[in-house]
Amino acid sequence: MESSMILAFMFVSLVVFMLSGAGLAFVLGAIAFISTILLWGPSALIVAVLNTFETMTSESLMAIPLYVLMASILQKSAIIDALYDAMETWFARVNGGLAVGTIAICTILAAMTGVVGAAVAAMGILALPSMLKRGYYPPLALGAICAGGTLGILIPPSVVTIVYAITAQISIGKMFAAGIVPGLILAGSYIAYILVRTRLNPALAPKPDDIAEVPLREKLAKTKALILPAFVVVGVLGSIYAGIATPTEAAAVGVLGAAASSLVTRKFSLSMLSESATDTLRVTAMILWITIGARAFISTFVATGGADSLLSFVETLEASRWLILGAMVLILIFLGLFLDEIGIILLCVPVFLPIVAALDFDPLWFGVLFMITAQMAYITPPFGYTLFYLKGVLPEGIGIGQVYRGVIPFFLIQVAVLILFALFPGLVTWLPEALTANAR
Amino acid sequence: QGVTKWRMQALWGGGTTPQLYEEKFCARVAELTGGTLEITPFAGGQIVPAAQAFDAVRGGAFEMMKTFDGYTAGKIPAHGFSSTVPFGFPEADQYEAWFYERDGLELARESYAPAGLTYVAPTVYGEEPIHSRVPIKTIADLNGLKGRFVGLASAVMADFGVSVSPLPTSEVYSALDKGLVDIADRGDIKANYEEGLHEVAKFLVLPGFHQPSTATSYVANTRAYDALDDQQKAALAVAAREISGSLRQNILVANGEYIAKFRDAGVEIVDLDPQDVADNRAKAIDSWKKAASDDLSTRMMESQVALMQEMRLL
Amino acid sequence: MLTLSRGVTAVNRALFSAAKWLVYAIVLLMLWEVLSRYALAAPTSWAPELATLFFGPFFLLGGPYLLHIGGHVAVDIVSAKATGGAARALRLVGLVLAAAFGAILLWFSAPLVWQSFSYGETSYSAWNPVVWPAKAFLPLAAALLLLQALADMVTTLAGAEAA
Ligand code: NA
Ligand code: NA
Repeated sequence: MESSMILAFMFVSLVVFMLSGAGLAFVLGAIAFISTILLWGPSALIVAVLNTFETMTSESLMAIPLYVLMASILQKSAIIDALYDAMETWFARVNGGLAVGTIAICTILAAMTGVVGAAVAAMGILALPSMLKRGYYPPLALGAICAGGTLGILIPPSVVTIVYAITAQISIGKMFAAGIVPGLILAGSYIAYILVRTRLNPALAPKPDDIAEVPLREKLAKTKALILPAFVVVGVLGSIYAGIATPTEAAAVGVLGAAASSLVTRKFSLSMLSESATDTLRVTAMILWITIGARAFISTFVATGGADSLLSFVETLEASRWLILGAMVLILIFLGLFLDEIGIILLCVPVFLPIVAALDFDPLWFGVLFMITAQMAYITPPFGYTLFYLKGVLPEGIGIGQVYRGVIPFFLIQVAVLILFALFPGLVTWLPEALTANAR
Repeated sequence: QGVTKWRMQALWGGGTTPQLYEEKFCARVAELTGGTLEITPFAGGQIVPAAQAFDAVRGGAFEMMKTFDGYTAGKIPAHGFSSTVPFGFPEADQYEAWFYERDGLELARESYAPAGLTYVAPTVYGEEPIHSRVPIKTIADLNGLKGRFVGLASAVMADFGVSVSPLPTSEVYSALDKGLVDIADRGDIKANYEEGLHEVAKFLVLPGFHQPSTATSYVANTRAYDALDDQQKAALAVAAREISGSLRQNILVANGEYIAKFRDAGVEIVDLDPQDVADNRAKAIDSWKKAASDDLSTRMMESQVALMQEMRLL
Repeated sequence: MLTLSRGVTAVNRALFSAAKWLVYAIVLLMLWEVLSRYALAAPTSWAPELATLFFGPFFLLGGPYLLHIGGHVAVDIVSAKATGGAARALRLVGLVLAAAFGAILLWFSAPLVWQSFSYGETSYSAWNPVVWPAKAFLPLAAALLLLQALADMVTTLAGAEAA
């Protein structure tokens, strides 16, 4: 069969089966199995098992349950409620203050975690109930969490960045540094959007009835709520940046910090630990069973030549460098609708980077553009990981449709920021260059 | 006349120099067979993780792999000796001679045959470096350091007093950067420069006694291999031997080029005394003996030791 | 049949409740590694590796019961609107896919685990443990997923008859 036919077959059946409402893990796996039998031979079904063996012992993926557990314990310790309370006190007179605070906290989480799933699921547990309880327009709250949660891709540490840097043969240190400024600009853009949107329509983010100015003394008193989370953040960030622990080990340090905090707030108990473990296994099993299905899907897609037809299209284009760059970015965004970012890196980076080099673009800068398209991939249906991670923690009465609606404006912001960085590469490259200059 | 189509997954990343040589290998096989054997190359991890390729070829998911025997040394102890031996042959040519002039090739074939796999030929190249945050002048300086090594090297380095952490490859840069470990191995000199290890480790120690010479292997599914005609089988052997020489020479030249880049970046190149390495080779034999836990691996080790003695390396 | 189906669900629920505690074992092992490397300057060769050996069983054993409680990610735009027979049919499609997924994973993983056992396969690290016990959780979880999918099919069909 023609490779373009394979591509069409796999994605059409993906969409059809997904609409049946079957578990995504099983849809991906089953399509991978059917395509494998039809196009590759039944003996190749073993590939799914071998990929799973590797997933089972991945030190990097093991960070997911640890960061989720940390978030779950923090939530059950009533620390986050206090944090939101404090934030509300501080931001009471700001429109959309809690959504703004969510982005701010997502930015801090992004600096702690290298895994998007953990950040989104954690914020789904921590921030979503607070915002809904206060009557926020659900799509705004959900969109802020999805978009904020993906900041972890750009802001170091980041598993995706590491995989890109290794595949593209770029220094991980430089690639990390390259993500900091763009990550903060993105976060700032989200906050600006929330402020403008809620100013124009205050009903989206109702303020508490009593909006009297809180005395500064009370504001400062509430700030105590920051102490325990800050202690945990410093424990995680500090142990990574001081060289005490790997990102996964740092997550374990975070769990210890969260447990210690729950002792301080007198919420520590066996049943609390049990409930947190239940939350953690639910989210982790969900993410990792999808990973099993997705890896089987990608292997089949690659091995049967489905990837080639898409990629050869770009290579044969005879157009201006900017047009080709645009085409590559569009392909990345398109693939992001369906595939996971690690698979996209393995598929596209080896093919795209020689083109990038031939067109005299900076691979570091292209890497940042790539990370932004990866963030788009994470929040776009039908196959956006954050949507699914978030779905795992959605309360009764909130459907996935509200999540879809919520991410649209944030997706548009990502597009705008992507164009900004494409036009002004200096925004991306000055920090890594400055750091390297200092090192010499 | 029909065309046989194979898939081959290698262990290198897409677009890297060694992966380009795998593409050359496939092109050369097509050329030598008049186009009757078409092998499509895949980069490491594109279909299955590199360490799982053994079972994938065995199960027939693809017909051939370029693998590193060290991945399967946990299944087949002999693979510890057909991949890389800490303190082993200091020159790649000596190691390759063991394969072709002694019984290395036969023993390697024997190690794969029971699994339904056919060892075609090795690709042999030279040392990989050790990167260090602390000055190392002698092998005795290793004692008490924290290090990152994998495979047999992790056991041997532990025997030399290193506290070994089995960190994944992706953690090496940050582990050195943060001081999680004092010394680490990773890949070859060029790959490590491109990873940026010159930014995080001020010393580059040569020779890389933990991995003085390395063999990666072309291995085919036996059923698929037996279905080939003699010309096709010969083409695989010829192309493999060509690639072994040409990749080794490419690495040899790149090593010189990239050592200069490390020096320009302010990294001190430490050249250990060859006598120090030779003296400790005798000591490493105890570690080899521990790793040779069955009949085949023992024969492999003894065959290498015998050749080393003739070459006056021991 | 319904009793059998309830039995399968009870077993998977119990395994979920047991497996969830493994996350604390992972936390303690990672903390021990940090402590022994940083404070005692003597990293263990076994703690991080043992943690990764617990990781697979942890998330694999969670899968089958998650199927029963509908915890797997799905696109429910259509199914949320379906009622009666259509809803049951869609539910059966999902369960058939899950059963097929479990069956194929089981069929292809069991021989690999058997090989790993008969080779006495070890991880070839400094600690060098045998790896088949951890690998064995894949066919086990696949079998349990298959059984849970069949059990839920029975319940769904029984619900159709009762209605
Ligand atoms: Na991050
Ligand atoms: Na998407």
